[in-house]
Parts: sequence; C-alpha cells; structure tokens
Amino acid sequence: MPANRFNAFTAYGVGLGLRIPHYAHILEKKPLVDWFEIISENYMLDAGRPLHILDQILEQYRVVQHGVSMYFGNAARPNRDHLRKLKRLTKRTQTPWISDHLCWGSVDGRYTHDLLPMPYTWEAVETTARNIREVQDFLEIPVAVENVSSYAEFHVSEMTEWQFLSEVVERADCGILLDVNNIYVSSKNHSFDPYEYLDAVPHDRVAQMHIAGHTKFERYLLDTHDHPVLDPVWKMYAHASRRTGRTATLLEWDDRIPSFDEVHREALKADKFLPDAQTLAA
Amino acid sequence: MPKLSPRKAPSLAEVQQLMAEAVMRPLRRDEGMQTAWKDGTPAAEVAARIIKPNDRLTSFERLQIYNQQYWWRLLGTFGEDFWALRAVVGARKFDRLAVAYLESHGSQNWTMRDLGKGLESFLRAHPELIAPHDRLALDVVQVEWARVVAFDEPGEPVLQPQKIAALPPDRLRIGLQPYLTLLALAHPVDDLLRNFKERQIETGAFSNAVATARPRRRGRIAARPSRRPVHLAVHRHQLAVYYKRLDPEAYRLLLALRDSATLADACDSAFAGSRDLPATSAEKIQRWFAEWMQLGWLCRAR
Repeated sequence: MPANRFNAFTAYGVGLGLRIPHYAHILEKKPLVDWFEIISENYMLDAGRPLHILDQILEQYRVVQHGVSMYFGNAARPNRDHLRKLKRLTKRTQTPWISDHLCWGSVDGRYTHDLLPMPYTWEAVETTARNIREVQDFLEIPVAVENVSSYAEFHVSEMTEWQFLSEVVERADCGILLDVNNIYVSSKNHSFDPYEYLDAVPHDRVAQMHIAGHTKFERYLLDTHDHPVLDPVWKMYAHASRRTGRTATLLEWDDRIPSFDEVHREALKADKFLPDAQTLAA
Repeated sequence: MPKLSPRKAPSLAEVQQLMAEAVMRPLRRDEGMQTAWKDGTPAAEVAARIIKPNDRLTSFERLQIYNQQYWWRLLGTFGEDFWALRAVVGARKFDRLAVAYLESHGSQNWTMRDLGKGLESFLRAHPELIAPHDRLALDVVQVEWARVVAFDEPGEPVLQPQKIAALPPDRLRIGLQPYLTLLALAHPVDDLLRNFKERQIETGAFSNAVATARPRRRGRIAARPSRRPVHLAVHRHQLAVYYKRLDPEAYRLLLALRDSATLADACDSAFAGSRDLPATSAEKIQRWFAEWMQLGWLCRAR
C-alpha cells in the first residue's frame, strides 16, 4: 500500500523538512537522511542563494515538494503564473509527487498567507476537486492534499471534515497527505473523535504523512510546529500506519528549531510506531 | 453589515469574501479583533453569521485567531525586511506605518517577498508616518528594498568583453543586471546599517507554522545627512548582497546606461561639467568598466 500511484510508486521512509538553520550542517556533514521535504515557495525563484543551496542538496538527497499557497479551496481557479513557476521547480527537483493544503487563502488577488479552513459544502467539494484536477493536469505529477489544523467551523457545512476530504480526493482522483497532528489539533478544537477521522479516510490514497508538535492554550490548541511530537499524536500515527502500511513520513519543525541532530532523532522515532516494528516487538 | 444571500446559505465565494475581509482588518491596539464592523455592526454579529461557536470559544473569538495570525505573519515578515526602518522611526511609529501600508497594499502575490515593493512610494505619499525622520527613513527604505531585490532577482548573462569591443561607443548600448540598484542618498546608509547590525541577508521563509506572538526587534538608528550625496550600488556577488560606493561620475554613467543611452552619450553625461582632463576621464572609465565586468554588472541592453 505505501508505494501507490499517489506517490509515484515510491517507497520513501522518514524525511525531514529542509530548513535554513540546518543548511550548513547538512552540506558539511552530509547526514544520512532518507529524503527532505522543501517548501516549494521558498525556491520558486529564478536566482539567488536558496536555489544554489537546493541544487547542492539535490546532488545528495531525494527531495519532495510541499506547498503552502496553492489554495485548492479558493472559489477562484488556480493562479497560472504560480503554476508555471511551480512546474519549473518540479523539473529541477524531480519530486515524485507534490502536496499542498486542503484550504483557501486568497480573494480577489489579495493573499492572506494563511491556511484558512473550508466550509464543508457540496459546492466546496466540486470547486476544490476542480482546482486540484487543474493543478494535477498542469503539473503532470501526482498531487496529494493535506488536511489542515483549524480553529473555526462554518454554519454552512453539510458534512464532517473527513467526509469532505474523502469526497474531494475521490472526485479529483488525487492523493492525501495525512497530517496526524492536524487531525489531533482539530479534534480538540472541534470536539470530534480523531480515530473516527483516521478510520474514515480512503487509506489507499494516502501518499504521505506529516507529524509535528503543537501548543496547548487554555481553550484551544494551536498548530505551532515548535515542539516535539506529543504522545497522543504518536499513538494516532501508529494507528494510521496500521491502516495505510508504511508510508513516507515527514516531521515538521518550523519554529524554535533545535539542532539538526535533535530534529532528526525526533523524526526517527516514527520507526518505532510503524506496523513492521510493532509486529517485530510483539 | 456585509452582504450575504438573504434566504439561502452563503456561497463559497461569499463565505471567503467575508472571512477574508474580517481577517485582513487591522487589530486593535491590544491586538484583539475590532469589535465593530466597518458600518458599525457589532463584529460579533458578523462573525456569528458564518462561524459556529463552541463550548469554549465564541464565533468572534474563533475568527479572531485568524485575524491575529494574518497580522502577526505579515508584520513579522515586513519587520524582517525593514528592520532598519523600524530602528529609524522607532517601534511604535513603525507598527503604525506598517499597518497603514499593509492595510492599503496588502499582499498581492503568493510570495511575501514583494510585500515591501510599494513602501517607498507609499511613504512619499504619507510623510506624516515617518516625520520627523522622513529623509533618513526614505533613504533606509530604498536600501532595504534594494537588498530584497539583490537577494534573488534573476540575473542576465554577463556581457563578454568582445561584445563591447565589437561596436563603436556611439552605437553601443549596455544593460545592467536587474538585481543591481543604483541609489543617490542623503545619508551614509551602508555604514549606518553595517554599524547597527551586520546580519546575514535571508528573506523570510515560508512555513506551515502559526505564530503565538509577533516577533519584535529593538534599537535605534539616527544620523545627520552627509555633506555630499552618497552614491550607492546595492548588488549581488557570488550569492551574497553587497553595498558599493560609487564616484558621482560613475553613478551618472551607470544611470545613463540603464536609461538606454549609448556608451558614448553615457560617458558624456557622466563627465558633463567635470574638471577632469579627457585622459583622466578615459582612465577612470576604463578602470570602472574593468571592475563592473568583474562584478558581472553588465549585460545586454533590453
């Protein structure tokens, strides 16, 4: 199951997000890392140091692209200029698949630079699936959509988030980037059972998984990516992995970033929770 | 009160329009969401029309999380790009001008790299936002934007010496690299910035993370104008951003080339009124061109 058409039949293991504070360490020490995930927007440039670094990374490592501003859920169609730049980058990185979020973020050419939550309506299902299909056709590589953490729900919603995700990916015929931490955060913010979510999504479409840390406030959780992964999230990750099989997994750590070794150690904990590891332990 | 379909559920576009409008409205001084909508309707009422409350947060409070995230994210990136402007005008004034500018211009691109593109012209139109530091502030803004441009603006293939030799100066037009900015300043901003804080130039990186508060910097920059204008090139060499002081004639020559003058006309305008002997001017031009070629500044005219 892990190598499927939504991740171009690859079998990637545990990866890390490529972040600026770690550039020097990676280029100098060349640590053994299965793959790096890059934020596409940081490299959709025509020149400069970021591309120079990326080219050096590409000489040594496998790279997968992850985006933060495609906004599949926008009522408007995808931005063609953005797509052209993104496609140019995919040629450079040879990313086997590409991911971005199941969210919206811009209106009338004004960008919020946030991952805003979708109203779970049938109209939104159709619009989002149309946009994903358009992106997938343009890029000519598999697309995986990631569930986001959310802090608000809409009156107009006609279904649950997991029903919405399932409907969108079926209609768009695309993959899922299952972010287990995001499910946990949203489950606490919206009082639903995260395991019901994990059990309901079409597991055969999961191309990749994300794990991350979050911050607890008095009345809600915030997806801050500035902590180690919390125990309930590891438990959910183990549960999801039993459903999906071994799947390319990425630890996100974007703020208060510790040393490379610390981030890498945290990511490699994922191995303990994978189905094979549990079978062996038993 | 914003318009929503009266009898049926709002469409996707309507929900997004309303929420975007709410998210992009400036925060109150205490960094909470404004309590009244533009037309005076309570914002809580507007939020409740689209957002469900839960047992811990009202609709208003849930929407406020996104409103705060928007501003903290944009102001954080803006503050990183214009940290020296903040040091010139002070934190409080900088926050006011940043909110006024971002409210007026917003972000019109998927990348936040261009966030400050219109700042100089905005501040020229609103000098009250930077008074009484307006001259230094405008100098600093130009340099800070030039650094953004120098960091990652695409370059053109470097012009080869034989191409320059192939045409007579009265027919030769030479272009300048798009990442090179030429500035005539009233203050020695390069020295001021270097002295204030020499830091590696990295534009803000995108991430999925959300912020729990706004990043802030401290410190001030103050200076009197120089006795003579400071001519500065902000450029990139081997992936690093540099400042280079220029002689006034060299500055005028480069400016003329950028304005599509022929090499002969550019040299004439650069040395118009100069007391230099022709041989001295020729020697200077030769030296400058050798340096500019080495730095890769020259390319085909567009």
